[in-house]
Amino acid sequence: MSSPRAQSTLSSTYGHLWFVLPGFIFFLAVMLIPLILAVGISMTNWTGFGGELEFIGLANYAELLTYWPFYRAAMHNAIIFLAILVFQHTVGLYIAVLLNEKPRFMQFYRTVLFLPVIMSLVATGFIWTLMLSPNIGLINPLLKSLGLDFLAGQWLSDPKLALPVIIFVTAWNSMGWAIIIYLSGLQNVPEELKQAAAMDGANTRQIFWRVVFPQLSPAFTALTVLTFIGTFRTFDVVYVLTGPLGAPNFATDVMGTLIYRTAFGGSSFSSADIRFAFGLAMALLLMLIMAACCHLLIRLLRSREIEA
Amino acid sequence: MKKTFTSGLLAISVALSLGYTGASQADEQITLSMWHQHPEWRDKTEAILAAFEAAHPGITIDLEEIAGTNYTARLNTALAAGEAPDLFGLPAGPETATAAASGYAADLTGLLDTDSLRGSALEAIDNDGKIYGAPILGAYSVGLYYHRDILADLGMEPPSNQAEFMSMCETMLDKGITPLVVPASDGIVPSFIYSMLTSSVMGAEGFTELRQGKRKFTDPDMLEAARFLQDMAKCMQPGAVSTPYVEGKALAALKQGAMMPGGSADYPGYQEINPDVDLGVVPFPGVGNNKPATVTGLEYIYVVNAKSEHQEAAVTFLNWMLGDDAQQMVVDTITMTTNKNVVPAENRILEEFVQAARVNDVRVFYELPETSAVWNTIQQNAAALLLGEMSPEDFAQAAQDAVKVSN
Repeated sequence: MSSPRAQSTLSSTYGHLWFVLPGFIFFLAVMLIPLILAVGISMTNWTGFGGELEFIGLANYAELLTYWPFYRAAMHNAIIFLAILVFQHTVGLYIAVLLNEKPRFMQFYRTVLFLPVIMSLVATGFIWTLMLSPNIGLINPLLKSLGLDFLAGQWLSDPKLALPVIIFVTAWNSMGWAIIIYLSGLQNVPEELKQAAAMDGANTRQIFWRVVFPQLSPAFTALTVLTFIGTFRTFDVVYVLTGPLGAPNFATDVMGTLIYRTAFGGSSFSSADIRFAFGLAMALLLMLIMAACCHLLIRLLRSREIEA
Repeated sequence: MKKTFTSGLLAISVALSLGYTGASQADEQITLSMWHQHPEWRDKTEAILAAFEAAHPGITIDLEEIAGTNYTARLNTALAAGEAPDLFGLPAGPETATAAASGYAADLTGLLDTDSLRGSALEAIDNDGKIYGAPILGAYSVGLYYHRDILADLGMEPPSNQAEFMSMCETMLDKGITPLVVPASDGIVPSFIYSMLTSSVMGAEGFTELRQGKRKFTDPDMLEAARFLQDMAKCMQPGAVSTPYVEGKALAALKQGAMMPGGSADYPGYQEINPDVDLGVVPFPGVGNNKPATVTGLEYIYVVNAKSEHQEAAVTFLNWMLGDDAQQMVVDTITMTTNKNVVPAENRILEEFVQAARVNDVRVFYELPETSAVWNTIQQNAAALLLGEMSPEDFAQAAQDAVKVSN
């Protein structure tokens, strides 16, 4: 008679795991198993084409430590991250504050500003390429018609301008996220707090910086971490605007294009430079570094939230 | 009741017999999947495939066109996953040899009718006596296209050497005309230019010596090729180093430049963009006083997937494509044929390419194992050279370092 009761206890303690099982199997199939396979392949010299491969241990990882293109690409990602971070926490926040005042046509503004996020970056990137072209583009003729000839330039072929242009397009594309995240944070700030501060004599600026802004800490944390992940995964915008080599002369090469080029090649004419296993090693190392950085960022920003 | 039962039986038997007939017809109908990397030839390739299907009612070709570098990525992934199509294109040379060694490509030795092939094409697809692919889309040469009307208006003849080219460049720049359109974003076209410039210096014999280690890209006369390429940068359209191939091709076709390096297979694309385009072709100007040069390679050769269930039908297709009728369609609408019995019937550009390639023609670097990596090296360093961020000496040294000298 005690057996059904024991089963019932077991069921009530661990029964919920059955609900997790489908998700876990999916996670296992599309994440864990490929990840384990990827780690295994990254320890070989497989080119990605053909059946010849040899176990070389950590040689690919060791080579990465002195592989200059890896550092160059990571540096470009870091520059993009910092620039986008500043942009989102200034321009994005400012627009969110304006929208939070509930101006007329707010829905329209919000839709227009969020539109780039839902549009395909490949499609918009291609349009940007056409607009920025010094031969057939719209930007230079527009600047000239406005009497701003001195600003017209070879946007994507000048090594000094190409990366800022990539940053600009990325900022345009991702600003909608910043606005939405900050706007939801702003809408969660209790009105009573602002009213209390106003009654205590605080002016608008003081209310924002002393009352509202500290309440936005969770939004700041989420946006910073999401921006970090997003910018270090940048690929499509660079691939479309400046090609698989991160033109001109690798001035816009990022981790995404470097890994793609290494794993799949940069030319349809020859596969001589393809090193799939080395590309995988790069991707895995990048994943580890990003995971560590995200952990640190979250710890740092969360502690700040608590203090706030 | 009996009548109803009999009618039911009849209906079932008719349905079953129809189903059986349908099934047997479906069994006879074979669909071959095929991938290639030239979406811009769509109309032409579909016309050729339609002719094949009309001649072979039991076989249908399902063609998928995948552009540029995506092709390599897709194909390599599909091969590794065992999901590759029945027929796919590969560059002749090291890639095909690797595909064969890896069990991806079926051995077609003795199955293909190669009697009509030119000797050079047969040599290019031969892997130690074995044949794994067929050059069904022929060969291509790369030279210098020019707009005949633009040059005629300027009273100019196409250039044949460095001095003539640079002089024309100066004159055109003074008149506000872009002398040369080069889409250099992916480094491929500059790689072809450098191949032609070095070929003008060393010729076909020198290329053999280069592969044997007797000649070097860093030799003083060869170094001039890198210097010429760097000097040429000012003749290119604004923003050349970030101009994508598609934009460059459109600029060239729409007369936004007087000349452009290009291959024999590029002409259908130019016509597609601008049906009124009036082009001529010459070999690329020589370095110094060296003879102008062209480079020639095979278009992707087509191999049969070793795991295909329809290898016999695939071989039937390849043999039909190697025949005179199909090759006539190739040469009249797409590019140069490797079939010695076929000459262009109504393709002036290909005739000009054939003439151009008679002057000083060298095989493309990437088809040979000794210089396969040279191609990638110059592709990746071309922008640095054009921007002046790399010296011609360093550029030539990098190319030389990538040569794997044969014994």
